[in-house]
Amino acid sequence: MGALDGKVAVVTGAGRGIGRGIAMLFAREGARVVVNDPGVNVDGTGGDGGPAQQVVDEIKKAGGTAVANLETVATVAGGESMVKQAVDAYGRIDIVVNTAGILRDRMVFNMSQQEWDDVIAVHLKGHYNTIKPASVLMRQQRYGRIINFSSTSGIIGNTGQVNYGAAKAAIAGLTRVIARDLGRYGVTCNAIAPGAATRMTQTVPDSARQLRAQAGVQGAASESQPAPQSAFQGLREPEFVAPMVGFLCSDDAWDINGWVFNVSGGTVSVAHHPTPMRTVFTPGLWDLAELDDAVNNVLLRDLPNPAPPREDVEVPGRDTPAKPLA
Amino acid sequence: MATPLEGRTVVVTGSGRGIGREIALLAGRLGANVIVNDPGVNVDGTGGDQGPAGKVAKEIRDAGGKASANYDTVATPEGGEAMIKQAVDEFGRVDGVVHVAGILRDRMIFNMSEQEWDDVVAVHLTGFFNVSKPASVLMRQQRFGRIIGFSSGSGLNGNTGQANYGAAKAGIAGMARCLARDLGRYGVTANAIAPGANTRMTQTVPDAARQLRSRAGIQGQQRQPSIVNQLREPKYVAPMVCYLLTDQAWNINGKVFNVSGGQVSVSWEETPDRTIAKPGMWDIDELRALVPAMMQGLRNPAPPPPDLEVPGRAEAAASA
Repeated sequence: MGALDGKVAVVTGAGRGIGRGIAMLFAREGARVVVNDPGVNVDGTGGDGGPAQQVVDEIKKAGGTAVANLETVATVAGGESMVKQAVDAYGRIDIVVNTAGILRDRMVFNMSQQEWDDVIAVHLKGHYNTIKPASVLMRQQRYGRIINFSSTSGIIGNTGQVNYGAAKAAIAGLTRVIARDLGRYGVTCNAIAPGAATRMTQTVPDSARQLRAQAGVQGAASESQPAPQSAFQGLREPEFVAPMVGFLCSDDAWDINGWVFNVSGGTVSVAHHPTPMRTVFTPGLWDLAELDDAVNNVLLRDLPNPAPPREDVEVPGRDTPAKPLA
Repeated sequence: MATPLEGRTVVVTGSGRGIGREIALLAGRLGANVIVNDPGVNVDGTGGDQGPAGKVAKEIRDAGGKASANYDTVATPEGGEAMIKQAVDEFGRVDGVVHVAGILRDRMIFNMSEQEWDDVVAVHLTGFFNVSKPASVLMRQQRFGRIIGFSSGSGLNGNTGQANYGAAKAGIAGMARCLARDLGRYGVTANAIAPGANTRMTQTVPDAARQLRSRAGIQGQQRQPSIVNQLREPKYVAPMVCYLLTDQAWNINGKVFNVSGGQVSVSWEETPDRTIAKPGMWDIDELRALVPAMMQGLRNPAPPPPDLEVPGRAEAAASA
């Protein structure tokens, strides 16, 4: 007996990578799956029905039940079509997993409006487009599971990805709101910030990699919270993300709601809520000189600048006197 | 009064009223040249009125400061560029961008229209891109700049009825972290503020959402009123924002600060808090055994009511 027997799931971006791993595991656990993927390139161009259909064929060959959907998540009509297809084909919808994504990496000062808009449309609006129609049905049936995909690019930060990072951090925030909108109706909503070697992680431009390395960003979540370095990190196959998603979609996870989980290889973490970590207080209006002392010596102690100014930049306050605060 | 922002030019979006207005006024007193941007719309983004921005700019000038009003929307690239261009045309440069402008269209997700989603994301999140993109080009060239976005507890902690606003506000925090990493090496910092204050915007939360929150036990999570959170005027948010604009704050970058009354906090980054690991692939049964322990004390913010039949709940109670 599978953990998802009788459930009906939509998995977006399930033609390849992490989404594919989730669709396959869902089917093995007894779910009937709408395998969504328009089969575009990593930058969102093109289109190919092959990847989604191939995953469906693989699921069927293994004795599972699945149907392909080739719509884009970037439009309201596309999102509705996936939910409708689940209901038409299998009579209900219990699970939505929002894995679909594209990349258009660029330093902010060179980023075009199109690069911003396209990435926001697929990732952030794409989440709204599937969640909205699914939430109507899940609320009525008093049952549902929504899994969103965030990323450390947004919840921690990354060079060359203001569009992707903004969308992915927004998805973590969206998750926390959806959890509160729907929790009382028996619906949970959580997010995954995955780590895996997929087609998407191959596209990060070399210039961004170099910048990150120079900024000391690569290899550490932050200097105060170093990422675990161990044999566990060698496990980069996208299939490793699927079991946690499967668990969160099972009945047993009915009370886990509104959280962001880092999942990479055999490592599963629950992320800190971005609540206040350290606080300073004055019973009135701060003056700037007091703030200078409190912020630097109390709030930000041991919390470094992730990208400090280069040595050859003349920085007022570092290399030339700052204008006095008082 | 010292004038640590003398010679700096700062664009403050949404500064016709509320928190933005207080930032513009204080920046003006601290010596900055201020572009007071505000199209003077209603809280839901409709309408338009040049009065608020014009009045704030005049107030700054009457007090001996330098300010100019701008009435463009942040929701379009043209609007964002117009504000930056006005700063350069009138004051010769742009040193700071503070994106306070925002609208609200609160609705439970199952009732939220595409328009309600799009309008809120356009003003808050894409609005932040629309002003910081053109500013970043100039700030990188001049090797100096300050970018400050406005986030919110609605996105950082989550809030009922605000999927659009909460997503956009969490996105702004994420974008500030990415801007910090793109621009830090050029002497430019980017940070975000999650403010608490009584303004026109906090009056509009629908009663239905308030009721849901209180039923969900969310309201009760807030701190009891005390001196610490009685100071709700928007003016209390301004000093921290203006401090981040000063030379002294050159090395403060990529952070999210909660500012409300006399309280200033730095937020947790969403780094791993608790971890389970194995040197191989988990199966669901193993996770079923271990994840609840990892989640100990981390509550469901909106648990299903006792009278709702929830698959898995009875089994959990039986095994407990």
